[in-house]
Amino acid sequence: MFRKPALLMLPGLAFLLVGFLLPAVAMLLAPPGEETSAVLTRFIEMFTDPYELRIIGRTVLIGLIVTALCVVLGFPIAYLLARSTGRWGGILLVVAIFPLLLSNVVRTFGWLVLLGANGAIGRLLTATGLVDDAPQLLYTPLAIVLGLTQLFLPLALISCYSAVAQIDPGLDDAARGLGAGRTRTFWTVVVPLATPGVIIAATLVFAGSVTAYTTPYLLGGSGQRMLATQLFTYASVTVDWPAASATALIMTMLVFVVSGIASLAGRRGATS
Amino acid sequence: MKTRRPVAATLAVAGYVIMIVPILFVVTTAFSSGSTLRFPPEGFSLRWFEAAVTYDPFMESLVSSLELALGATALALLLGVPATLAIHRGKLPGRGFVEGLFLSPLIVPELVVGLALYQQLMIGLGLNNVAALLVGHTALMLPYAVRVTGASLALADPAVEEAARGLGASPLRAFRTVTLPMLRPGIFSAALLGFVTSFNNVPLSLLLQDREFRTLPVTMLDYVQQSYNPRIAAMATLILAGTVMIAVIAERTVGFAKIFGGINR
Repeated sequence: MFRKPALLMLPGLAFLLVGFLLPAVAMLLAPPGEETSAVLTRFIEMFTDPYELRIIGRTVLIGLIVTALCVVLGFPIAYLLARSTGRWGGILLVVAIFPLLLSNVVRTFGWLVLLGANGAIGRLLTATGLVDDAPQLLYTPLAIVLGLTQLFLPLALISCYSAVAQIDPGLDDAARGLGAGRTRTFWTVVVPLATPGVIIAATLVFAGSVTAYTTPYLLGGSGQRMLATQLFTYASVTVDWPAASATALIMTMLVFVVSGIASLAGRRGATS
Repeated sequence: MKTRRPVAATLAVAGYVIMIVPILFVVTTAFSSGSTLRFPPEGFSLRWFEAAVTYDPFMESLVSSLELALGATALALLLGVPATLAIHRGKLPGRGFVEGLFLSPLIVPELVVGLALYQQLMIGLGLNNVAALLVGHTALMLPYAVRVTGASLALADPAVEEAARGLGASPLRAFRTVTLPMLRPGIFSAALLGFVTSFNNVPLSLLLQDREFRTLPVTMLDYVQQSYNPRIAAMATLILAGTVMIAVIAERTVGFAKIFGGINR
């Protein structure tokens, strides 16, 4: 089309280099006024420091729970929507995707109203006489898990939906025609064929959960630190560059390792 | 559908409740006439909407957010669309690698990108925060620009462009009259997606904030730490209304699920 179309990518590449790649590498190697070894030393220290280990452990555990919840709740929605033929299927799909457009801050505020001191759930529990004093719900791991599940469920169900929608409904009918029950058809036909999509969904949710900031900040408070809120404290409050960079490194590695494992698992699933 | 699959239906209902109910609670409390953020709200009034739109920090940061989102979207398209053409039409040797580079901001956690830009560009090089925000938001959007317009371009047959050239059109004219119209839905989708991503972003905007220029979500996070009243719910409801409008525009033009879900239905 143009004589040298390849040159068209140069402005974009230059921008990425200066505005993203170089700062990211420099952040790991040379925080302002610090030795290069400081980040690495701090990184290693974090794995022997009980306080840091608790934050890493909490982040991974919450990430795993949210991932499991999003798959368990998202897959049925995706399955029912993909197999529905009526008008409602389309409307419900739009309702499920819409929250992806909506600010995380707006979505997370809802839990403050639900779980807070004067919150709906606490008042409901005391009003019905189930408990005398409303239990502490906000600033607990449970609040973070609920908030993150709300945030990432649309993402999970879209990946699952794409996977299920690609499976020919004729295969379901064939299995049923050959005498398999509804449940057996689901587990032996639909689930195996949708597994690559589920792996993608799980990876996206896990990566999102262990790096999310807004939710642990609003719903976890200072008592339930996760890697993201801790990173912000190091960068902005205590201005401890080696610690901030080391936390960033841990967070990035967590995402990369899990994505790597997932892509290996996906490949093995595809060849077997 | 629901009666024949009781387990799946129950889980699906639970999923919808978690996704939607908290949003409904925000909206309900916004119409409260009382002065605390509680449920059920005490009476009905619009006073908190008035309180939100007359509150300077919200309105100033709303303007900042819109300016930033528009600027970053424009920049991302200016850099991303030519790059997409290069990737798909340029017969590059390492095409997969180049595409991977353009998608790379997507795989690095946003907070990490924010830290890198804050530490290196603002503290290290002394760049002001508006410039750093523009760089960060643009970097974040480039993957969308390249991937979404790329998907449109992949559907467009290069033979049509060659035919235009064979009929005597200059490269620029062939681009303007043949390629660009084919790309339009992709560019529009990328712009919409980029705008929304930038407007809603917290991690980058949080680290790159400044007293003079901060975005609306960051101001709202700050506000809720200090005061706990329905003004914040009213602002959230206004954002919800704006987002619904964008969704309607998306549905009327390219198709909502197609843009935001990557689903062809």
